[in-house]
Amino acid sequence: MQRRRFLGLGAAAGMAATLPACRQLEHLGIPISVLRPGMAAGHRLRDAAPLPPATREIRTGVAILGSGIAGLTAAWRLARAGHADFLLLDGPEPDGNAAAGTQDGVSHPRGAHYLPLPSLESRVVREILHEMGVIEDAPFAARPRYAETLLVHEPDERLLFEGEWREGLLPTAHVGDDEAAQHHRFMDEMARLQDARGADGQRAFAVPLALSSADPAWRALDAQTFSHWLTAQDYTAPSLLAWLDYVCRDEYGAGPERVSAWFGLHYFASRGGHAANARDGSVLTWPDGLAPLARHLRASLAPGRQLAGTAWRIEESPHGVSILASDADGAFRILADRAICAMPMHVSARIVPDMQARGFDPARHAPPQSPWLVANFLLDGFPAEAGDVPLAWDNVIHGSPGLGWVVATHQWLRAARPPRTVFTTYRALADRSPAEARRWLESASAASLYEMASEELRRVYGGPTLWRLSRAVEITLRGHGMACPVPGTLSNPGLHALRQAKGRLLFAHADLSGYSVFEEAAHWGDQAARKILAG
Amino acid sequence: MSDAASSPSGALRQPDRLLILSVFVVASCGLAYELIAGALSSYLLGDSVLQFSSIIGCYLFAMGVGSHLSKYVDDRDVLARFIDIELLVGLLGGLSATLLFLLFAWMSAPFRSVLYALVFALGVLVGMEIPLVMRVLHARQASFSELVSRVLTFDYLGALVVSLLFPLVLAPRLGLSRTGFLFGMTNTAVALWTLWYYRADLPRLRGRLTRGVLVMAFLAAGLATSGQITGWAERDLFGDEVIFATTTPYQRLVVTRWKDDTRLYINGNLQFSSRDEHRYHEALVHPALESLPWARSVLVLGGGDGLAVREVLRHKHVERVTLVDLDPAMTGLFSRNAELASLNGGALSDPRVTVINADAGQWLEERGEIFDLIIADFPDPSSFGLGKLYSVPIYRLMARHLSENGALVVQSTSPWFAPRSYWCIDATLREAGFHTHPYHAHVPSFGEWGFNLATRRPGFTPPTHYSVPTRYLDADTTRLMFQFPPDMRALPVAANHLNSQALVHYFEQDWRNVVR
Repeated sequence: MQRRRFLGLGAAAGMAATLPACRQLEHLGIPISVLRPGMAAGHRLRDAAPLPPATREIRTGVAILGSGIAGLTAAWRLARAGHADFLLLDGPEPDGNAAAGTQDGVSHPRGAHYLPLPSLESRVVREILHEMGVIEDAPFAARPRYAETLLVHEPDERLLFEGEWREGLLPTAHVGDDEAAQHHRFMDEMARLQDARGADGQRAFAVPLALSSADPAWRALDAQTFSHWLTAQDYTAPSLLAWLDYVCRDEYGAGPERVSAWFGLHYFASRGGHAANARDGSVLTWPDGLAPLARHLRASLAPGRQLAGTAWRIEESPHGVSILASDADGAFRILADRAICAMPMHVSARIVPDMQARGFDPARHAPPQSPWLVANFLLDGFPAEAGDVPLAWDNVIHGSPGLGWVVATHQWLRAARPPRTVFTTYRALADRSPAEARRWLESASAASLYEMASEELRRVYGGPTLWRLSRAVEITLRGHGMACPVPGTLSNPGLHALRQAKGRLLFAHADLSGYSVFEEAAHWGDQAARKILAG
Repeated sequence: MSDAASSPSGALRQPDRLLILSVFVVASCGLAYELIAGALSSYLLGDSVLQFSSIIGCYLFAMGVGSHLSKYVDDRDVLARFIDIELLVGLLGGLSATLLFLLFAWMSAPFRSVLYALVFALGVLVGMEIPLVMRVLHARQASFSELVSRVLTFDYLGALVVSLLFPLVLAPRLGLSRTGFLFGMTNTAVALWTLWYYRADLPRLRGRLTRGVLVMAFLAAGLATSGQITGWAERDLFGDEVIFATTTPYQRLVVTRWKDDTRLYINGNLQFSSRDEHRYHEALVHPALESLPWARSVLVLGGGDGLAVREVLRHKHVERVTLVDLDPAMTGLFSRNAELASLNGGALSDPRVTVINADAGQWLEERGEIFDLIIADFPDPSSFGLGKLYSVPIYRLMARHLSENGALVVQSTSPWFAPRSYWCIDATLREAGFHTHPYHAHVPSFGEWGFNLATRRPGFTPPTHYSVPTRYLDADTTRLMFQFPPDMRALPVAANHLNSQALVHYFEQDWRNVVR
């Protein structure tokens, strides 16, 4: 072998050996914990592991299976209506996407982190907020007054655009006239769509989605992708498209090339909530994301109404619903008159054996699920900011594959910056197919998860700074983080059938709307509970 | 090159032995500059672990670069270059501490860049020294093993001596600037005696000698005047002589004095001048407390200097005073340092006073005590974080800690320099449900300063006499305080809400108009 060639090989081998070592060095001494909520139970179902025989039996009027926002809202509604005979089975992911954690006294989200001002139609959400004291006066008024401490404090958001932080997320003031004109045209068009109504008089785009107009003229938008629509409308400005790409990934876990045009527009046209004491487009947030909402819903339940445990099989008979479940003490059977299956559809499909007979073909009707990564960096102090624009609640990098980070201590009322804080970074794995992304997540090492989760923080603050300040990192993997509204979602016959379910087994989950937000989950939880209350 | 058979033992001739001694000195000086830079940057920038590590790293790396560069020095010039480098190191190293200090005092932005550039340059020069000395000695036919052993022995010995001398004697006794000059002179001395002993081998002797003497004289002058130089720098930063300075996890506290005027600066902002602080603190406390003759309990938020507490304690009907200040260093300083505690009359050690070191926001959220008077003496709302302390929710929170007939007094920035900020605080208090009674006082070191007295019930009449001794306040002054002349009239401004932070924007605009 020639000497030069040999040296070259040696160098390559050396590089190969040191690259992973460098990766290790990035988080050297920083404890990383990886949470995979629901994964073990989900894979047990997927792999059709044999079910244990039940050794005891519990009887109840209504079994609510799953304690995400849909299940919690259903239970809350029943409890408030004085319907006491129910049981809420937590399932493997208590609080669902509203879950939160605490590190060294700093609470932080492990999933969703904000709630837009609810639209007029979001009556359930307004009711919950009023009960919590978040809406301080008339809950159904056009412009209610919100608790100021829960409206996002200034500065709310900033964007790293062309090397500098700018206020706001759409850099209209920092692009050329042609691009800015497109920004204005788009925003004006979205403002018009907020008031658009179908032939039936309903709003074209509403939250909850079920209240949107049935007018086929509007619903036809669901046949194409958002990208397609944007191109057809001649929206070409790179800055606008990059922002819309961010919005779609942030909202739906996938870019405009996969998201239905109807849903792309729905995001902008449906909210429109107003407040007496906040500007339009404001959002509500808590240091620990949406967990306080889940906590409030839970607090309305009597202690004996909640049960930790996971459902494995739900069978409906003419006499009732039989649920095979297990908890730490082993397997048991719940015999209920009626049940609400408050789980994502890809899980329901494996737990309810006769989904086909209910009009839902899992292979064709289960909405695709976007994988997510939510990482919480416990920091000893705040990293120094370059430039004059201060750290905001939401910090986004233009054109980055990540979705930025929120600051968990932003809403704290303090005389000085707290000595510790948590930055929560979000990332939807939208650059590959969901199945591929899940395979990667399943086998990824803590080091590569850290590398992905910390990418934007390292880019902005530098690796050494992040390393110096990080005390611990908690990474939550949500392989099936949220339903992704691809074209055809609005007319998905399987979801339609489950929404209409009337028998002993009802369904409640944001998936029924084809996308995942608090408002939709609360709506379907409320609807299921109302069906039960109606008898 | 043959290893010298002529000196089998490897013994060195006398001038060469001297050169070995110079290794010892050179090594000492090299380490000293590194320690000075590390100590100075820790002192000025904080985070000593980071500062020392990065300085040492930069310095060692630069030494490596210097060692590498040394090979480009021609064999014939080695001795001459060594002397030149010694002079340069002496000059640069000797000046380093004073230069950095002045730079920090006059402009803070390029400080880090200059710091690292200086450390790097010094490192490169120092890194060249030892290889050059070794080459000189090697050329003079010392045996290689003997040479390496001796040079390195003295090198490390020099390092040991300085590493002990620096923290124990030099830094505390001489200070960083003088230590710098001293080592610079030592380096120059090495250059001069090397020059003298090898005068026969060196070209352009006279020029080098002149340069060496000039550098020496310059550094000696620096050593003699460095006290004055750093004094000027501090005076330029703070105006007066610094008698106390510390960096706490929360802020940098500097106390200065000029004749009978003691001043406290937090992060470079003047907090009080002992000459006129009585005006500020009498105005802050007495109008409210004189009109609450039944008040038993008072809460002071901020004000860790204890000066407001001193005024509160003059009212004998007050039975308990709770002071909540974030920084234990601040309250510790003003209760234990005799000189500073004398300013507040030992108020923080008074049995009626409880000092709590906590974040005022968190303390208000978590505790439930009720007070008859709350005094909010927070820093000006110059950031979004501080702006929260002047918001509707925080005033509502304070209202929950106030007895039915109690009052809240808020330090409210200047109605003259920052009128929109001042009236924004007034609007915010009203939005939070208070009845407000704005007033102002002239504090010469601050200018026209504003306060706001807020009550939960309407109706407040400013006091017409004071039952406690006052230097500034009397009936007439008080009457004028509650009147606003036409050029300070109320402005229509928005209240400060957390989700808009209008106050921070007003404050920034107001002061931008003042500072030209």
